[in-house]
Order: sequence, then C-alpha cells, then structure tokens
Amino acid sequence: MSDIEDDQQYANQSSDPVRPDEEDEGMEEERPRQKSSKQRRREYNEEEEEEEDEDEDEDDEDEGYSRGKKRQKRAHRRPGVNRFLDVEAEVDDDEEDIEDDEEAELARDAFIADVAGEGDEDDLARRSLHHARLDRRERELDDQDLVRIARDISQRNKRSTAHYTGDMNDIPQRLLMPDVKDANLWQVRCKPGRERDLVFSLMRKAIDLEFSNRPLQILSAFQRDSLVGMIYVEARSQKQVAEACNGLVGVYLSRSINLVPIEEMSSLLQIKKQELTVTPGSWVRIRRGKYQGDLAQVMDITENGEEVGLKFIPRIDLNPKDELSPDGKKRKKAGISVNTGVRPPQRFFSFEDVVKVYGRKSVSKRNQVFVFQNDTYKDGFIEKDYKISGLILENVNPTLDEITRFARGADVADGENSVDLSIIAEASRKAAIAVLQPGDHVEVFEGEQAGVRGTVETIAQDTVTINPVGVDLEGQKVEVPARSVRKRFKPGDHVKVMAGKNADETGLVVAVSDNVVTFISDMSMQEVSVFSKDLREASEVGASTNIVGNYELHDLVQLDQQTVGVIFKTERDSFRVLDQNGQTRLVQPHQISMRRDSNRAIATDSEGHELRINDNVKEIDGEGRKGRVLHIHQSFFAFLHNRDIAENGGVFITRARSLASLAPKGNAMKPGTDLSKMNPAMSGGGMVGSGNIGRGPRDRLIGVSVTVVKGPHKGYNGLIKDTNGPVARVELNTGNKVITIDKDKLRRRNPNGKLEPLEGGGFGGMGPPRNPGSFGAGRTPNPYAQLSRTPAWGGGVQGRTPNPYADGGRTPAWSSSSRTPNPYAQDSGRTPAWSSSSKTPNPYASDSGSGAWGASSRTPNPYSSSGGNSGGGTLGGATPGHQPDNSDGWSSEPWAWTVPTPGPWAPTPAVAPTPASISYNAKTPWAVSDMTAETPAPSGGFHTSADEDELPNEWLLDTDLKSKRRGLSVRVSGTMGSSPGLWIWDDGRHEGLEGKILGVQEGTTFENTTAMVSGIEPPVPIKYLVPVRPKRARGKVVVLYGKHKGKDASLRDGGGGVWLIELENSVLDDIPEDRICLWEVPASDLN
Amino acid sequence: MSQPSASIPTAARTRQLRACLLCSIIQTPVDFRRNGCPNCEELMQMKGSPDRIQACTTTYFDGIIANIDPEQSWVSRWQRTSKYVRGMYAVRVKGRIPEDVEAELDSRGIKYRPRDQTDQD
Repeated sequence: MSDIEDDQQYANQSSDPVRPDEEDEGMEEERPRQKSSKQRRREYNEEEEEEEDEDEDEDDEDEGYSRGKKRQKRAHRRPGVNRFLDVEAEVDDDEEDIEDDEEAELARDAFIADVAGEGDEDDLARRSLHHARLDRRERELDDQDLVRIARDISQRNKRSTAHYTGDMNDIPQRLLMPDVKDANLWQVRCKPGRERDLVFSLMRKAIDLEFSNRPLQILSAFQRDSLVGMIYVEARSQKQVAEACNGLVGVYLSRSINLVPIEEMSSLLQIKKQELTVTPGSWVRIRRGKYQGDLAQVMDITENGEEVGLKFIPRIDLNPKDELSPDGKKRKKAGISVNTGVRPPQRFFSFEDVVKVYGRKSVSKRNQVFVFQNDTYKDGFIEKDYKISGLILENVNPTLDEITRFARGADVADGENSVDLSIIAEASRKAAIAVLQPGDHVEVFEGEQAGVRGTVETIAQDTVTINPVGVDLEGQKVEVPARSVRKRFKPGDHVKVMAGKNADETGLVVAVSDNVVTFISDMSMQEVSVFSKDLREASEVGASTNIVGNYELHDLVQLDQQTVGVIFKTERDSFRVLDQNGQTRLVQPHQISMRRDSNRAIATDSEGHELRINDNVKEIDGEGRKGRVLHIHQSFFAFLHNRDIAENGGVFITRARSLASLAPKGNAMKPGTDLSKMNPAMSGGGMVGSGNIGRGPRDRLIGVSVTVVKGPHKGYNGLIKDTNGPVARVELNTGNKVITIDKDKLRRRNPNGKLEPLEGGGFGGMGPPRNPGSFGAGRTPNPYAQLSRTPAWGGGVQGRTPNPYADGGRTPAWSSSSRTPNPYAQDSGRTPAWSSSSKTPNPYASDSGSGAWGASSRTPNPYSSSGGNSGGGTLGGATPGHQPDNSDGWSSEPWAWTVPTPGPWAPTPAVAPTPASISYNAKTPWAVSDMTAETPAPSGGFHTSADEDELPNEWLLDTDLKSKRRGLSVRVSGTMGSSPGLWIWDDGRHEGLEGKILGVQEGTTFENTTAMVSGIEPPVPIKYLVPVRPKRARGKVVVLYGKHKGKDASLRDGGGGVWLIELENSVLDDIPEDRICLWEVPASDLN
Repeated sequence: MSQPSASIPTAARTRQLRACLLCSIIQTPVDFRRNGCPNCEELMQMKGSPDRIQACTTTYFDGIIANIDPEQSWVSRWQRTSKYVRGMYAVRVKGRIPEDVEAELDSRGIKYRPRDQTDQD
C-alpha cells in the first residue's frame, strides 16, 4: 500500500461522511474529549481534506459495485461502525505506516474514542449496511490472489520487527556457531576489486528473481575487504551457488567453488582489520594532502569513530607567493592553495610570524586558540579533524626526533604537558612484533607472565613461545602474546640498529630504560637512543655496508692536490681516511675528488725488490708491523693493512723503502739490473714529486684568471680550477663559488684587465713559469731574434713583415701604445697581433726547438704587454718576473745591459714618427722609444735613455740639449751640503742664485765640469745647477727630457704644474713643469 | 520467501554508503534520509534528519553481506540480523550508537552489542 493511500485512510476516518450529522446534533456536550480529539485530528489532516472529499465522492458512487482496492479501502473506512475484529486490525494497519510515534498515538486515540462513542448511538440501518459490506468483503478477500495475502502477512510481520527489540542480543555469540543443519558457505573466486559489486549483484538478482520460476536459492552472500578476490555465498548446495553466480561479471566460476569448513565459517565473519582502533594520545600519520606523512597525535574521537581530532605541527607557508592585489582576501586564498611547489616546512604556529606575513586580519584569537585560514591553532600546534580513512594508523613508527619535536612544542606551551614516551612505546609495540626473531632475548612486560624473561623459541602469528630463563619456569615453554614482550638488552650488550635513522649503527649498550636503549656508537662514539624493537644483538662492528657513494672501504682516494688517503672506515655518510701523512680525517664523499687506482703502481722496497699492491710485507724498522699492501702512492708511500692492528681499522702507512717482502719474489732483480730504468725520475717526464703520476701535463689553463663573457655568470671573474674537454670549472672571485662552464664563455683576463681568447694567448702566460729552461733562452740575445726583428722594423710597417714572430715581438710595444688613437696600435694591440701570435706553435713545442723562437712566440704575454716595453719585450717576455721592474726604469733591467749591442734600440726610430707616442708621461717606459728616436747615435742615446724618467744630474751634458745649452736659466742648488751626494760648495754662498748659462767648461769627469752662469762667480759645477721652471706663461723653454726632448718652445699657458707649450710649426702640447727649463735665446744666436 | 527489503544501493563502490550502527544495514545517505533505518528507525529516528544519520551511521565498515534470506541464513543469525529486513548489511561497523539510543536500549532491557566485534562471547 502506498503512503498516499494511508493518508487517505486517516482522512476518511476523520471526516466520515456518515457520522458527522449525528455527532454534531446531540453528542457534543456529552463527549467533550472526543470532540477535542476530533478537532486535533482535523487540524492534523487539514491539508488532505480536499483530496479526501473527492475520494469520498468517488467512493460513494462506487459503493456497491467497485472491487479491489477501492472496496478494501471502503471497508477500512467503516471501522467505527463495526466493533469487532476489524477494529483492532485497522489500528494495527494504521500504525504500520505512520511516520512516528506521536502521530500513531494521535491517530489511535482519536480512533478508539470514535469507536467508543459510536457504540452508544446505534443506527440500525447503517449497521445492517455494514454487515452486508462485511460479507461482501469476505468474498472479495477470497478472490484476492494469494500473493497479495502473503504480502500482507509479511508486512504485518515486518511491522512487528519495526519495534526494535534486540531480541537476539542476549544470545551469546558462541551459541550462534553454525551447526550441520545450517547451510554451508561457499567460497567463490572472483576478479579482485569486484567483490562488493558481486555481492550487490547477487542481492539484486535475488530480489529480481524472487517471484520468477527459478528464484535464487542462496541465503546470503558476503565479502570481506581483507579477502581479496573472493566472495562467500551461503547456500545448501554448490549447485545453487553456481546458479546464483552464473552470468555475473567478474566471477570465476571456472575455478572451483569451495566449501568452507563449518569451523571456519565464523572466522570469516570475525576477521578484523589490524589496528583499527585509535585512542586519544596515540600517534597516527596523515595519509595525504599537505601534511602527508606527518606525525599527528590523536586528541579525541567522534562518537561514531569516523573522525578524530588531531594535533600536529603545522606547515604554514610564511613565504606565500605575492599576489597582484594587496587585498587581504586574495592573499588569503593564495595561502590556501599551497599545492604548488614545495610544501612549507614544519613550524610551530607563531602568531607574530603569521601576522607579519598574512596580516593581522587573517588570524583571529579565541581565548587560547588562534584561528587562521579556518584552522585552529593551539600552543603552536594545528588542531584539525580528520577522517580515519585519511590517516595511517598502522606502522606509524614515530621517530624519537618527531616525538621530541612534539615534546618541544608542548614544552613551549606548558611544561607539564611533555610527551610521555610510553605513548610511543604503545604505538610502536605493534611494530615490535614484526621484528621479533627466534633467539631474541625478550621479557614479558604485561599480562600474567609479566617479568618473565627468556629467549624466543617460535613465533606464530601474534603468539610467541618463550623459553624462560631463570626461576621456577625454567624448562617450560611459555606462550605469550607478541605484543606483551619486548626485546631485552642489558648494559654491555653489543647491539646493532636494524631500522630507522640510525640503521646499521652498532654499539655498546650503556643504558636501558623500558624500551628505549641507549648505546655508544662504535663509529661516532656518541650516545644514541633507539627503541629496543629496532635493535638486535650483534657482534659485528661498523656498518654492514662498506660502500658509501662511489667509494668503498680501502679505496685510495684523492683528497686534494697534495693529499691522498685510504678509507679505513665507512660510516653512514662519511669516511674515515688515513692520508699519506699518517693523519686521519673524517671525509664526506663530496670532499673526495677522485678515486685513485694504484693497481699498477710499483715501488721499490728496502732490498730493491719490486713492491706491488697485495704483497705481504713487513717493516724493517720501527715497529716491524706486518701487513698487506693496499696501495702505493708515488712509489714512496705504501698503505698497508693488517687486521690485527686495531688502530685505524688496521690501515697504516709506511715508506716503501722501509718495507721488506715477507715472501721474496722470484723476479728479484739481479744486481746488474739498471735501476735507472725503474726510476721514473730518470725516465724523463719529471714526474716524480710532481704529484701528477699517471696524468699528462697539467692543463695549461688551470690557474688562469678568466672572465665569464656569456651566460648567467657573465661579467664574473675567476680562476680556472679544472678543465675537462670543452668545459672548465671556474672558481669565481665573488661568492666563493665554483661553477662549471663552457670554455667558450670564458676569456682570459690579463692583469691589465684586457680580455683575450682563452686558448690563444694561453701559452705565453703559462709557459715561462713552468719551463725554466726557456728562461735562459729568452735571455740569450739570440741573433735570430734580432734579425727577425730588424727587417720588420726596417720595413717600418709591422704588418708587412712576413715573419710572424717579428710581429709578435713587436706587439707589446704596439699594444702599449694602443692607448693612443694609433691605428697601428689598435691593430697590433688587439686582435691581429694576438692572432698572429696565436699562430705560433705550442710553446712546449717551441721550447724544444729554439729558445729564441719560443721567447718571441711568447710575447703576447700579458706581462709584457703590461710592461709595455718596446722591442725589449721580446726578450723580456720570457721572463715575466722581471717585467714589473720595467716601469721603474730601464736601469733596473739587468738584461737590458747584457744585450751586447744596442741593436734592438737602434731600430726604434722607425716607431718614432708614429703619433702613438704622443703621451708625455715620463713614467711610462714607452716614452723611451721617443727619446731614442731622436737620437741618431746609438751609444749615447742608449746610455742616457736609461734614465729618462727624471732629470739626470748631468742633464746639462745631454747631447740633445747641447745646442740649447746656452741661455738656459739655472739656479744653484745643493751647495749647502744638504742634498745627498753634494758637498758644500763655496760655503753655499751662491745657493739659490739664478742665472743663465753662458757656457759649459767640460772637464774630464762629470764632477769637474763647470758652467759659466751669468751673475755668478766662479763657474759653478754643473751638478749644482738645476733648471729654472717658468713662472709665467711667457718666454721660451727647452724641453729637457721626455717627449720633445731638446726642443725649444714658447710658453702659451700654464697652471698646476703643467704648461701648454707651442713647439715649432705651431704644435701645441701639454708638458709637466719639471720637464722644461726657462730659456732665453742667447744674444749671439739671434744674430 | 516474500520478505520486505531495504532499498538496495545501486552503486556498490561508492564511498557514500553508510552502515547503521545498530543493525548494520547499509544504505545510501539518501535512503536513510528518505526512509530511515528499516530495522531500528524506532530508536534511531534518522528519517529526514541528516544530523541523526551522521550520528547513527558510519561509512567506516568492513565487509558487505547480501542478506537474501535472513530467516534461514546462518550468516544473518551470526550477525544477529535474522529478524531484520532483507538488504545489504555490514560485517563490521566501526563506532557506537549515540548515547541516547544506548540509554533507550538500556531502559528497555536490551543489551547493546556494538557491531565492531570488540566484545565477543
């Protein structure tokens, strides 16, 4: 029956079309209760009134001939009249479908009252009518199909169960065990994952086929989540199971349908998932999301056990991506979507920090609790509800670290709330079962057998059999639940950590407290605390693995350029290394630059015998230690290993020369053998002591200072540390960083700051220091060098010379002058010169040939270019060490004097005309070329030019000035004996006097050369004469040295020690004051 | 064989399915709301009340039984669901009924047996 029909029934009862008249007429006063109840009823049914009325009309019309439902309904509607059976039945009927108790009560009250009321007032006509109807209804019922009746009955049954009785709850479960009369369970294989669907399918199929010809005969079917790939069907026979399952997708009927033994049936329904319970205080891990894998502590559990309140360390992003809009809402949103990138680290909630980042509005405070982004934070922890399905309850295994972090957080909040380790112990107890092994020493710490100690005999599921040790239980075997035992260690035990962060550590137990064992690590000598479940007794020392990274125990490794060592111990992520100096160090894998292979290394022992690795040897002196040769280093050091030596894992180092072979070899050398053949030092290559055994010459580029010209590090300067093919490792000057970069992106940086290609100019820079032999060659005034240069100079244009070496030879000069707008200088200073020099062969090659060539080929040397000495650079290029001296003057260049001929200087006039040399800076050596340019006489010029930088004492004797000598204004200076090297002359009475030189009386030496000075008597030794500088921009001067030396000029302007002079042909130039001397054209010359 | 049936959830795999904490019947939340629990609605009163459904049912259950013939089946006897309507039942249901229901059971002298198989006798 549908609900609608039921409602209609209520309605019909309330507004019976037959009754109202009488009731309203006389009975009202007499039955107030009834009336009130009726009213109530009315109210209740108000809404349905309309519908009901319609219904009634219909019913009235139908009355007498309609059948089926309507009839039935009508019958129901007459209960009030009939006081017999029908009444109670109707009540029941109504109750079945009412929505709740209240309604039921209501309806019943009213109804019964009606009945009672009706009893008093009889209407015979109506009653007879009713009887007739009853008869008819009985007939109708007979006509109704049996199915309907059956359904009614079953509905009635159902009604009775609707009242929850829990009638079976008192029967103990054991009495419900299956017996032979019960149907059997059949195991049916199915596709894994389809179990649930199949059970549902069976249910639906059963309902669908219920009234068909062949209803399913199975009684039930079920599935367990823990039993994958099978469902169980309860049926009397296998055939019924097969029929039921036939046609279902995912059932493997081809595989047999197995009968479940009766005794196992109940087990199938008793399967428990492991560790499903959580209790407040227990540890869980969060399965997914931002806090995936994070440890959390259960605070509370909802009633239905679905959700748990957790507290854990939050991960608040304190560096949220900046939003475009500063609007707080946006920012908040961004904070929530943390999915991008790395998750923020665990950090206790700090109000200040969060407010700083997210703004004050984002955090609200309710008494002790902060609310931020819809999460609550308390005492730094986040408190959040999680579904149990979103948590990992098993194998949580909180580490001590995590626990202590929790504890710390709690301590910060309030001291007493520190975490009880026993909680972890509880949590990890389950896991402890898994790590028990037969033979383990255990103790029972809870239950009846608490305190019993013994060794584990067997383990079966959750039960361990213990062979107790001590007291009265000795000899018996005790079975205890595995969770009640824990491994037992006592101080002094040697243990090994099986799992966790400290896995593979070994050590000696020093303290045991409950299930936390503290031991001293064999490796680090530090105390380590671990859970006893993670420990095993073990006699081995050290890590089980001897390999860390690419390195293995007893490998010979290169630690730095000078140091090699042998790994004698591996630790978790580091090594102990004994280096060649006998020192031990703790080395991380990344500190090892490479592994050395000394398999083929040979050394000579004390008896001159060949010593190879794996030889058994003995020290002949010292401690006389024996050992096996692990490695030989530089044919000098031998690393030996002897297990009997405890120190350094048995590895020690000795000199190969102090070893003697324990088992002399057959191939001992005859006395006549030429030992020199074995001497690598004599076999050429100069490798001994170089530290570079087995490698080619060091890369020439190593150590070169470079500038990065491309890429992210563009502009950085650094040193090449290593090269490998096309890439170089460059240690940047800035940031203490080593980068790996293509050589293409590097340019050699010369000391003068100029950049040049890396490979091209490299030879000069690198060659000399490493090839002392070429030093001498470079100094040798090789005639070729000069010859080669000569034509070049003679040609006047360096580009014409066919000799590239000559080009190179000249280059420094040009490059030095390249500061001037000289096109030549530009050319030579820049690429062409370098390219020409880059054409020169490898310096190594040239070294083997002519030293002179090598020297010249080396000229593009940064040193020489910086020194900037003209032609001489050719010679000096090979000796960079001398180059800095150049700037101080030629006189300090020893080699300059060794040149037997002034030849190199002679050609300089060719350079002279070049405007490149405009620079007047006396300090710059290249000015020399100008000086000498004017000097046709090689000898004198050369000599004087040696001191061009400043005014020489004998300046008056300078040949260049000879013609201008007369008329120079001079002052007497130094006659007081105050200047070094000058004695008192003529009592200093002429000191400071000025005059014009009238003539010079040349003596035999500089000392006795005197000059006639106007206004001063007697003639003044020229050493006391200094030039008079101009004071006004008037008159004429003579340039004493430097550019324009010897020329006379007119002063045009001046100031600050610099004068503008006008040379002949109206050439103007600036010149420092100290280079010029006031000059008056002698009267005689004017004539 | 004609017995009342609970509505059978259509999708077996949906995570929505909820099991009654008292009688362990499995239905969709929609069915619970529309019809309540077919067995123990009298106590649970979940009809039309999502809050009650939340409190009295759970998604945390294990094992599903198709209870086709409760009267005859040993499985349903073992599960103490013989007197219940046909339908899908859970083998284990995690959690306990709300305290008011438990008190009501107590007042009626009915022993409450949690369906999480914690206490077996």
